[in-house]
Amino acid sequence: MRDVVFWLSGAALAFVVTAGAFLLLANLATTPSEKSLNPDRGPVGSGPAIDLQLDRERLASLEPLPDQILDLSVENEDDEPLSDVNVILITSTENTALSDSRYYRQTVEKIPAGGAESVRFEFDLVVPEQPVRRPSAAPPEPSREILEIRANTPEGTSTVRTVILPP
Amino acid sequence: MNSAKSFLILSIAAILAWGCAHSGEEDSIAPLAPASGRVDPGLGPGTQALSSGPGYKGSPSWSPEGDRIAFTVDGYVVDKPTGSEDLRHWTTRDFFAEDTEWEPDDALMILGAAPSAGTQEISSSLYRAQPGDDSLELENVENEVTAIGAGEDRLYFALGSGAHESWLAMTRSGGKIDRRYSNPIGGRVAYLSLAPDGEQAVLAVRPPGDRKVSVLRVFDLRKGQGREITRLEGAREILGTPQWTEQGIYFVAGKQSTTLDSDGAEPLYNIYRVPEEGGSPELASGVGEDFVAASIRVSPDGRRLAVVGRLNPKSPTNLYVLDPLAKVLTAVTTNEDMEIKTGPDDLAWSPGGKSVAVIARGTPSTEPEVRADPADRLLRDFYNLYEIPVDSPEAPPR
Repeated sequence: MRDVVFWLSGAALAFVVTAGAFLLLANLATTPSEKSLNPDRGPVGSGPAIDLQLDRERLASLEPLPDQILDLSVENEDDEPLSDVNVILITSTENTALSDSRYYRQTVEKIPAGGAESVRFEFDLVVPEQPVRRPSAAPPEPSREILEIRANTPEGTSTVRTVILPP
Repeated sequence: MNSAKSFLILSIAAILAWGCAHSGEEDSIAPLAPASGRVDPGLGPGTQALSSGPGYKGSPSWSPEGDRIAFTVDGYVVDKPTGSEDLRHWTTRDFFAEDTEWEPDDALMILGAAPSAGTQEISSSLYRAQPGDDSLELENVENEVTAIGAGEDRLYFALGSGAHESWLAMTRSGGKIDRRYSNPIGGRVAYLSLAPDGEQAVLAVRPPGDRKVSVLRVFDLRKGQGREITRLEGAREILGTPQWTEQGIYFVAGKQSTTLDSDGAEPLYNIYRVPEEGGSPELASGVGEDFVAASIRVSPDGRRLAVVGRLNPKSPTNLYVLDPLAKVLTAVTTNEDMEIKTGPDDLAWSPGGKSVAVIARGTPSTEPEVRADPADRLLRDFYNLYEIPVDSPEAPPR
């Protein structure tokens, strides 16, 4: 009787140890969550996490004219306050033959932990004159304007948003 | 004994608890860089992006080894390795390039126009560009060039200043013209390509007094003599470069129209075939009556045609391969949300015939689009180059 109990206990123990080992291995190669596959890229670099929030309605109201205004929010997703966050706006056009990129920079002095600060850019969104093109070289529709917004922390973290404005 | 039992039970419980528990932190996987590696932008599995970022791209041209691809961006010429992003500029950004062809020595022959101060359109010239030349200076080979076509180690080109006569010439390499053909060609040569054996050329010609390209001629490059093989009647015109296959000469043609048709649809073009001996063009077999063709390219072995077009006027544009011998059209892509560019020079076979380069983009939005990548890494938002693998059929016995 004791032998039977001994062998049954041994077999159960071997089963449990093997199953535990497989579970351990399975956990080591955990499949990433769906959230991590979101195309929204997180901050690049090491350091505190920052994010940029843009108002779509405000973006839709931008026109290819001087003196445009873009309000955005820089969010500190870290549990420590941030200081001296550089926010850069680069305006350009879809037509890469026109070297008309313009750079604008703002510095946010302090963003509390888990908080956000607003940034306002006043900039010119002037569509450059298109050169005379042959039919083969000309796109079928007007070039779109592109806004690239980057936020950089002194610790090296950066995040970027690219806005493509319809013609 | 009790302590041994307790230890055994606790051990089993610990193993079970550890094994069953999920780790609290999920490891975040950074999204793939848009322009690196294999991507599926809607053009099918195995598709590889060859460019990224803004710019109106066109006229892809593979290097003879297939390891680089040249193309135009907003008129200027660049090339890059197929496996990396190391873009190389060949012209200044104000250059207007129409077409490019590689030379065996890694130089690039460029048909285009240098910038001019005035607004008047200037004629194109043939230029030669050397790799690694930081000055981006181009060597002028010949002026008044209207079309180019490359063979194995030769480049043929048509030249002429007026609408009444054109001539052909040939250069091997180094920018020197090795042969000028003395027999003139009536009209203006708009497109030019070579037969698979490289000994004849097919020319699409705008005849004198006609505003449309309506005549096909073949030209014997050894004898220096040419002849007309077909002429389109009515308002039809030839669109793009005719392609010489082992089963005859194929070309895209349709009703001439610079605006939308009265019913709101785009002008419709079909693929036609004409034997090299000449005759009336007939609709290409295997394509289907409703097919709307945009551009065609013959494979390096002369046996297949890559076709960009639509199965019917309401279908999305896709890439197909036509086997002229079997008269079978095979869909290579079945995309519904990418716009494949339909310019006559916007597709190119790789030298080995295993893939085709096309240019495509996602459907543009009428609302502002926000992306989480830098502009120069974006793919679908702009016209970009894609390498699409094409199945190779069994070689038929010759």
